[in-house]
Amino acid sequence: MRGVALEKVIKRFGPTVVIPEMSLSIEESEFVVIVGPSGCGKSTTLRMIAGLEDVSKGKIRIGGKDVTWLPPKQRDIAMVFQSYALYPHMDVAGNMSFALRLAGKPKAEIEERVRRAAEMLELTDYLARKPKDLSGGQRQRVAMGRSIVRDAYCFLFDEPLSNLDAKLRSSMRTELAILHKKLDRTMIYVTHDQIEAMTMADRIVIMDKGIIQQVGTPRDVYNSPRNTFVAGFIGSPSMNFLDGELRGEDAVAVKGDGFELPLAPELAKRAKKTRGKKVVAGLRPEHFAVEASRAGSSESTYAKIRLDVSVAEYIGSSQFLAAKIGDAHVTAAVEAGPASEPMSSGNYLFDTSRVYLFDRESGNAI
Amino acid sequence: MADYSERRFARILGHYLALIALAVLALAPIWIMVATSFKNDVIVQSKEPLWFFFVPTLDNYAYIMTRGKFDTYLWNSVIVGTASTFLTLALGGFCAYALARAEFRGRRFIANSTLLIRMVPPAVLAVPAFALVVVFNIDNDLAVLIFFYTALNLPFAIWLLFGFYKQIPVELEEAAIIDGATPLQVFFRIMLPLMKSGYAVAGIFTFRIAWNEFILALLLTGRNTRTLPVGAAGFITDTGVEWGRIMAMGTLIVIPPLLFTFFAARQIIAGMVAGAVKG
Repeated sequence: MRGVALEKVIKRFGPTVVIPEMSLSIEESEFVVIVGPSGCGKSTTLRMIAGLEDVSKGKIRIGGKDVTWLPPKQRDIAMVFQSYALYPHMDVAGNMSFALRLAGKPKAEIEERVRRAAEMLELTDYLARKPKDLSGGQRQRVAMGRSIVRDAYCFLFDEPLSNLDAKLRSSMRTELAILHKKLDRTMIYVTHDQIEAMTMADRIVIMDKGIIQQVGTPRDVYNSPRNTFVAGFIGSPSMNFLDGELRGEDAVAVKGDGFELPLAPELAKRAKKTRGKKVVAGLRPEHFAVEASRAGSSESTYAKIRLDVSVAEYIGSSQFLAAKIGDAHVTAAVEAGPASEPMSSGNYLFDTSRVYLFDRESGNAI
Repeated sequence: MADYSERRFARILGHYLALIALAVLALAPIWIMVATSFKNDVIVQSKEPLWFFFVPTLDNYAYIMTRGKFDTYLWNSVIVGTASTFLTLALGGFCAYALARAEFRGRRFIANSTLLIRMVPPAVLAVPAFALVVVFNIDNDLAVLIFFYTALNLPFAIWLLFGFYKQIPVELEEAAIIDGATPLQVFFRIMLPLMKSGYAVAGIFTFRIAWNEFILALLLTGRNTRTLPVGAAGFITDTGVEWGRIMAMGTLIVIPPLLFTFFAARQIIAGMVAGAVKG
């Protein structure tokens, strides 16, 4: 199989097990984002693929070749570091050509490849500058450039955008996605930022405590999170979790402190099998709505839910309500009404077709 | 308002007075040395010391340059100073790099104890060193002095370079490894250029100590292997201390380390690693 594969990889640092056992296969020219909170083992995973960290057990294949015990330079990879790690004593051209010079490529070819990469990244005017004379965004580009001149089989990114400001980060996201299309190479990207994961990835790998929680397309992981961790991690603001119990013989509704929501037939069917167990209802903030805007629509799947609003945060296109349902704190994102109409406590609507249920003990989705 | 600026003036005045006092303390001995080197014996020995106004003479310089073996001593000092500095930096550099990067048992202990060795005064080592040299019958050889100075300077050089190496982010090495560099290429093409400042600082200290050292040099050198400080001491004779000649020699001794320091200091560029990491 081509692409990149981790086969039953285990990683220990002394007595601490960082990655209990992990298998993951990444298709050729796929853009995979590994996302998770800090300390979840995502960087370690990337460094094992790069060869900067040994595996304690298991196998790593790149392009079908077993590279588990090969040094980085024989793995046909390029890597962009979070801190950029530019060589301070070399100018931009020197930084970008370092790998090619080490490989003993002919001078003309090196110049041509650096020129092309610099054009792609709009760095042509800066080739003679030293890293210290560049802005953060430019340094970031040089770091990218250094990896793309290599024309490696697989590109590894270790949180490359986390040192940039918000605006630059979002434009670099777009550029990276374009770069991936142009280069058509396998890219593995590690981040703690779920927005980066959602916007760029072909597939997302969500990790927690060294274990892969779910692998799927951005739509998959958003629409059908496998457990409460994934559900809470993906989506912004994050999902509200409310303890509740299933009601009725056929699990027609979920009821908890301060709310009762009917369940969509399919979910009810699944929930029926687990009836009697206590559940957690997952409500995404964006599936709340202001009552007035939906009133009178009989076909609506919306159900009434009472919110005790403490603060409304206006962000332009919508507003976030910090509120309480019963005793639980929740966030709701609703359309921003006219300014004359301050958001207050009262009945709001919730789209019942978008209710998620999780087993309260295991946290797994129902 | 007036009160404030008056106090400010007083404070600045105080600062400058203190600085001037310190400068005089530091520079006066040098002035005495240089001035004395241009005085003839009569002026040197006169009851009322002449600080600034006297008829200068080059007799002392002429004497030490033409009689005696100034050129041999200078050559010895240059050889011993540069060779031991080079050896110290080369060995100490590799050692500091290993201490800063490699993981091995006792690493921290070694890194911290290098300075302890430095606490031993060279004079304490003089007698055992002399005994060793006599036993092995290797006196009258510059290599002996080079060897002892290297040993003497290594702990401090290691400690100093260790600190510099630790400041260089590991990611730079990892990036180079990913780029396909071998360990030696990482060291010579990435680390060494970034360590210029560190080596320059360590070099200044090492060279100065090797250049000025007296006690070991006195004991371990013979007629033809004397270094300049030992040569200068030769003007303390049974018939009297030849101050003018000692001071002339001293003035000349000062020049090479000054040149070396100016040259080395140019390698010290503040914030050499700036721009390597972070935005």
